[in-house]
Amino acid sequence: MTMDRRTVLGLGGAIAAGVALAPGLHLFAAPANSTSPDSGSAQPGKRWGMLIDTTRCSSDCTACLSACRTENNVPLYGDPDRDIHWIRKVELRDQNRRQLPVNLPVLCNHCENPPCVHVCPTAASFVRHDGLVLIDKHRCIGCRYCIIACPYKARSLVFYKTKPPRDANPNVPIRAAGVVEKCTFCAHRLDEGKMPACVEACAKADKNAMIFGDLNDPNSEIHQRLLKEKTQTIRADLGLKPHVHYKGI
Amino acid sequence: MLSEYSAIEGRSPGYWKLFAALGGLVLMGAAAFLYVEHHGHAVTGMNNQIVWGLPHVFAISLLVMASGALNMGSMSTVFAVKQFEQFGRFSAFLSIALLIGGLAVLMLDLGRPDNMLLPMVYMNFRSMFTWNVFLYTGFMTLCILYLWTMFEYKQYKKFVGTAAFGWRLVLTTGTGSIFGVIQGREVFGSAITAPTFVAISLTSGTALGILLLFFTFRFTRRELDDRLIFGMRNAMIFFLMLVAYLLVVEKFTRFYDPASYDVEMWILTGPWAWLYWLGVWGVGVVVPLALLFNRRIGNSVRGVLTASGYVVAGAFCFVAHTLLAGQSYPFDLFPGYTITSVFQDGQAGTYMPTLWELMLGLGGVGISGLIYLLGIRFFRMLPARGEAPKGWELPWNP
Repeated sequence: MTMDRRTVLGLGGAIAAGVALAPGLHLFAAPANSTSPDSGSAQPGKRWGMLIDTTRCSSDCTACLSACRTENNVPLYGDPDRDIHWIRKVELRDQNRRQLPVNLPVLCNHCENPPCVHVCPTAASFVRHDGLVLIDKHRCIGCRYCIIACPYKARSLVFYKTKPPRDANPNVPIRAAGVVEKCTFCAHRLDEGKMPACVEACAKADKNAMIFGDLNDPNSEIHQRLLKEKTQTIRADLGLKPHVHYKGI
Repeated sequence: MLSEYSAIEGRSPGYWKLFAALGGLVLMGAAAFLYVEHHGHAVTGMNNQIVWGLPHVFAISLLVMASGALNMGSMSTVFAVKQFEQFGRFSAFLSIALLIGGLAVLMLDLGRPDNMLLPMVYMNFRSMFTWNVFLYTGFMTLCILYLWTMFEYKQYKKFVGTAAFGWRLVLTTGTGSIFGVIQGREVFGSAITAPTFVAISLTSGTALGILLLFFTFRFTRRELDDRLIFGMRNAMIFFLMLVAYLLVVEKFTRFYDPASYDVEMWILTGPWAWLYWLGVWGVGVVVPLALLFNRRIGNSVRGVLTASGYVVAGAFCFVAHTLLAGQSYPFDLFPGYTITSVFQDGQAGTYMPTLWELMLGLGGVGISGLIYLLGIRFFRMLPARGEAPKGWELPWNP
C-alpha cells in the first residue's frame, strides 16, 4: 500500500489532533481534587502548625536537623549546592545592627495557599486534609517548577542516585533520583500520634523552641500561644498563609 | 503571478553533509540524555537554587521562535500581505519543527523522563505547565491543519490561519507566564514578562525565517527577490522597537517602586548584568537596529542577514537572562536582615553549565533542523522562485 503526501499530511493532522485532544478528555472527567485520594490517614478538621520560639533557639544546637536526617533518611552528599535540606538553620543579622543575631530553623511552611501545589502540572504536590503539603513521588515528573515557585527554598531535587543507609527508617520511602522532596512534618509519625522528629529532638535537647500542634484546636498549646504572643510568619506579604510561625524576630 | 511549489532535490553532497551534521547533534543530545538519566542531574551544572539551566534556555528559545516562525504565514493569511503568501507553508512547517525540537529538550531534561506522559493523565489546571501542555499540542495541531489547508483546502485557510495566529499569541503568553506568575522570586512576577516574550517571538521568528529562507534558496539555487527580504526587514525593525519599548517600560515601572530598588540594581549591575546589557540589549536590540537603520548596511541583504543573526542570538540571551538571573537572585526570606546558612541563604546562586547540558540543548536544535531538512525534501514547502508581485515597491527603506 502506498500513500501520497496529501494522505500522509491528513493522517499526520488527525494523529496530532488526537494527541492534542486526548488530554482534553479529562475536562469531562471528575475534576481533579487538590487533595490526594489516598489521604486516609489525615484527620480532616485538623490543621497542623508550628511555632518556633527563636529566643530559645541557640546557634550551637542542631538537634532538630540531625533528628530530621535520621528520621527521614535524608543523606548528605557533601555537595553544598545539591545537598537535600528538609530543615536548615539560618542566622539573621539586622542590617541596621539594632538587635543581636537571631538563629532559627527554616522548613516547609505547609502554606494554606501553597504556590508549589498551584504550579505542579501533575498534582504530585498536594494538600492533605489536615493541611500538610506533601509530594506523591510516583507522580512527580521532576520538572522543578515547584522549586521555582517556593519562596522559602524549602524544596530540594534529588540530584544523586542514593542508596538507603543500612539502618534506614523503614517508615520513610526510599528516595528516587530526579524527584523533588521536602519536609512532611513527619506525616508518618503524626499518623501514629507522635510529634515530628525535629520537635521531639528540640524538647529532648531541653530547648523547647519548637511547639507543634493543631491550630484548629482551641485548647492546644500552639493555639493558645499564638493568641497571646507576638509572632510572625515568613514573607506574610505573599499571601500564602504559612503555618510555621516565629516568635522573637 | 507566483511560481509553483516544489520540494528540493536533496541529493547534493551539501545536503547530506548538513543532514549528517544535524544527525550528529541529535546523537549527541541522545548521548547526553542517557548520561544524565544514568547518573542523575548531579552531572549538570544545576543545583537547588538554579534548577533550570542551559537545556531550558535552548528549549524555551526554540519554543519562542516556533511561535514567531509563523509570522510569514500570519502576515499573508491574517493581514493580507500577499507577497508573503508563498512562504506560508514554509512558515507553518518551521513552527512545527521548532516546537518539536524545543519540547523534546524540555521532556528529556525532566528529573523523571520515564514519567513524561503523566501530565497527560493527571492534570492540575491551576498550573501554567498544564496550560502549556494544551497550548503546545493545540498549536501543533493548528499548524498541521493550517499546512493542510494551504496544500489542499484553501477555502479554510483564512479560518485556520487566523485561529493559529490567535493561538500563537496565547501560546507565547503562556510561555512567558511560566515566569510572570511566580511571585516567590523577586526577579520574576511581572505582568509585562508575557508580552515581552511575545515581542521576542516576533523578532526572533522573523529573523530565523529570513536566515533559513535565504540560505535554503541559496543552496538550492532558487531565486529569491531581495525586496521580500527587505519587507521582512521592515517588520523586524518594528518588532525590535516593540521589544525595546517593553524592556524600558518594565524597568521604568519597577524602578518606580522603592521595594524593587535592590533587585533592579542587582539586575543592572550584578553578576548577570553583562548578559542583560551585552546580550539582551546589545546583541538583541541595539546592534541589529543600528545595522538595519544604517542606509548602506540596512539596504543590503548581507546586512539584513547579519542583523537577523544578532536577533536570534539576542533572543537566546533574553531567555537565558530571564531564567538564570531570575533564579540566581538571593531569596529574600527576611527583608531588612542579612541571612546566612549552609544552604547558601542570602547568597546569589551560581551556575556553570556542563558539556552534557550543551549537548542536550544542541540535540533539540538538531531535531528541529532534521525535521526541516526532511520536510523540504519530501513535501512541496517552498516556491520554485521567491517572487515579489510585479510593480510592488516597499513603502519604506532605511
